[in-house]
Amino acid sequence: MSVPPGSIIVSDWHRCPDSREFFSKILHKKRRRKFGLLEAPMMPPQMNVDLVRYKVFLSGKTGVGKSALAARLAGLDLPKMHYETTGIETTVVFWPVRLKESGRVLFFRFELWDCGESAMRRFDHMLLSCKEKVDAILFLFSFTDRGSFDDLTNQISRITEPSDRVVKLVVGTKFDLFMHTDVTESDVTHFQEVWGLPVFRVGGDVSAGLGEVAPLLNALAENLWHQDCMAASSVSISPQAALRETSSEIIV
Amino acid sequence: MLQAETLQLLCLTASSGVPLFSRGSSKQLPFSVIGSLNGVHMFGAGHGAQLSSCETDRGSRVVWGVFQDSLMLIAVSGSGGSSISQLQLRRLLENVWNCMVLVLGQDELSSIRNVERLKRELRSCYRLIDMLLERVNDEEGFMGDLTQCTDCLLPSHSGLLLQEAVDSFAQATESEFGCLLLNGRVARATEKWWSRLTPQEVVVLSVLVRSLADASSCDYPVFLPKGSPTVAIRLLSFQLLPGVHVCVLCGPKPSLHNASELISRFWSTLVENLRTCLEQAKRSSLPPSVSLRWDVQALLLINCDSRRALTVCPRVRVGAPAEDTPPLISTARRLELLRLFYVFAVTRYFTSQESTASDFAQGFTHVPVQCYLVTDECKCFGLQSPQHQLFLLMDPSVPTFALRTVATQTLSAITSATGF
Repeated sequence: MSVPPGSIIVSDWHRCPDSREFFSKILHKKRRRKFGLLEAPMMPPQMNVDLVRYKVFLSGKTGVGKSALAARLAGLDLPKMHYETTGIETTVVFWPVRLKESGRVLFFRFELWDCGESAMRRFDHMLLSCKEKVDAILFLFSFTDRGSFDDLTNQISRITEPSDRVVKLVVGTKFDLFMHTDVTESDVTHFQEVWGLPVFRVGGDVSAGLGEVAPLLNALAENLWHQDCMAASSVSISPQAALRETSSEIIV
Repeated sequence: MLQAETLQLLCLTASSGVPLFSRGSSKQLPFSVIGSLNGVHMFGAGHGAQLSSCETDRGSRVVWGVFQDSLMLIAVSGSGGSSISQLQLRRLLENVWNCMVLVLGQDELSSIRNVERLKRELRSCYRLIDMLLERVNDEEGFMGDLTQCTDCLLPSHSGLLLQEAVDSFAQATESEFGCLLLNGRVARATEKWWSRLTPQEVVVLSVLVRSLADASSCDYPVFLPKGSPTVAIRLLSFQLLPGVHVCVLCGPKPSLHNASELISRFWSTLVENLRTCLEQAKRSSLPPSVSLRWDVQALLLINCDSRRALTVCPRVRVGAPAEDTPPLISTARRLELLRLFYVFAVTRYFTSQESTASDFAQGFTHVPVQCYLVTDECKCFGLQSPQHQLFLLMDPSVPTFALRTVATQTLSAITSATGF
C-alpha cells in the first residue's frame, strides 16, 4: 500500500527557497555532482542532518531503459548508444528531503541496482544478489513496448513475495515518445486499480533537471520512510532504531 | 576520430562465412564485399595458404584472423588521413577476441550450435568492442591494446599505504587478485594480479572497468581468456572517488552487497591520499620527483619483465627557455606519432617480442638495441635493453647525434627515481 504523495514529506521542496542550501550540496556548476563511494554531501554539524541509506532494485525487460533511468536519476549523462548491461551495476543518488511534521531534513542515499536481463538468466546469483536486503523495487516498462507492460505482472510475481516488506513502484519510461505509444492511459489506470501500485512516467532523451526526477525520488523517500516508521512502531520502543543511519561512516 | 570512421570490424563464422556482426564505420560494407573478403580467405585456406593481410594501392588495409577454428574476425581500415598499421589491426582482432571470451566464455564461442542465438549473445560484447575500435586512435595515452602491456601510473607518495590497502581489501573479499586504478591506469595491484594474469587479460579487464566508469559498483561475470576461459568468475569494481576504482576478482563469495560494506573500513582513511594521487594522475603518469627535459614531446617506457608500461605526454613545457620555444603539437597527434613509432620499431628492429617479424628484421646478424627516426614533426629514438624498451619523441631542434644520450639519461632518470 503506497503513501499519498506529500503526506509525509514536503513535495516540490526543491522549488522552495529554503531548500537551496541543501540541494546545492548535490549540485556542482549547475550539474549534478558525482560522488564516489567514499563521499557524501555534508552539512555543518549543528544542522543535524542525517543520512539514510536504501537499496533500490530496478527490474524490467531488456531495453526498457533501466540503465538510462539510473543515469537520469543520478544526473549523469544518458548513454548515447544502447548497450546491454551484462552484469550488475549500481548507481548512488543523494536526495535531500524535508519531513512535514517535524521540519527535519534528511539526505536519502539511494543505491540503484541495475542488472541486465540476459545476465540474470545466465547466472543464478545475479537476482539473489540484487534482492539481498533490498528496500524497494522499481518495476519498469516502456510506453513504446507493449510486451514490457504486459510482462509487469510476471516481473512482480517472480521477484517478490506477498510477505516481502519492500516498497514497490512502477515506472513507465519513454513517455515523451507519445507518437509511438503502445500503452494507453486506461491500461495504466486498470493496472493501478488491480495492483494498487503507483505508476510514474519519465521521458526519454532530455537531460533531466531536478524537477523531472523529483516526483519519483520523493515518492521513493516517502514510501521508504513510512515503511521504516511502521517497522519501528511494530517493534515498540527499541533503542536501536530500525533506521540504518550511517552518516558517521562517511568521510569527505 | 576521423580515422575511426574508416575502421570497420566484421565477424563471421569460420566454417560457413555467415555474418554475425559488423561494428565501426557507420557506412556498412555491402554484403558482396563481405562475401568476397570471406571468399578469398577460404580460397587460400583451401590451398593450404593462410591469408593474413593485404593492402590496396590506395592505402586501405585488411587483416584476417581465425579464432578457435570457429570465428573469423576481419578488420578493414579505409584510406583515411593516416593509415592504421597492420600490427595495430592484428592487435585489434586479438583484443576483440579476448573481449568476446571475457564476456561470453570460450565454450559459447567455439562450439556454435545456433547461429541466431550466438548473434544475440554477441550483442553483449558490443560495448567493449566499440571501445576497442575507438582506442585505435586513443587520445588519453592508453597503449595497452597495442603494446599488450598494462598501462600504469606511479603514485608519488602513499605508495606503500595504497599497496597495503589493496592487499588487505582483496584478502577481505576472499580474493588474491585486486588492483587500484586511477583514471584507468593501474596504480597498485596484488602480487597475483601481476604474476597470474596475462597482460592481455589485464588489458581487456581494464577496458571493461573503463566501460563502467560511471557506476558506483559492479558485479560482472567474466571469463579470463587464459586463466579461466570456460568457468566464469566475478569482477567486482568500486568507484571510491570519481576516477578511482578498486577491483577484485572473486569466486561465488562475497556478494556485491557484502563486499560494498568493506569499502568504508579499508579505504575511508585514505581519501586524502587518493585525492592527491588523482591530482598527480591528471598531470602525468610519473611522480613529480621525475623531471623530464623540456623538449621531450612524449615517451613510452615498457618494463619487459613485468609487462607494464608508462606513457607520458606532457601538457605543458616545464623549464623551457623563454625565447623561441615552439608550442607543443596536439596531444592527440603526439600520441599518434608515439604509436606509429612504436609499431615502426617493434616490427623492424626490436622484433624479439613479435612473432610476426618482418623480412627486414631477419636480415640482421645482430640484435638491434637502438633505432631512430627523423620526421618533420619530431625526432624519435628507440632504446632496448633486456629489461626496458623506451620510445622517446623529441623536438626536431634536438641534434640527432644527441638523441642517444638524451634517451639514455631519460631512461636512467625514470628508473632510478621510481624503480620501474
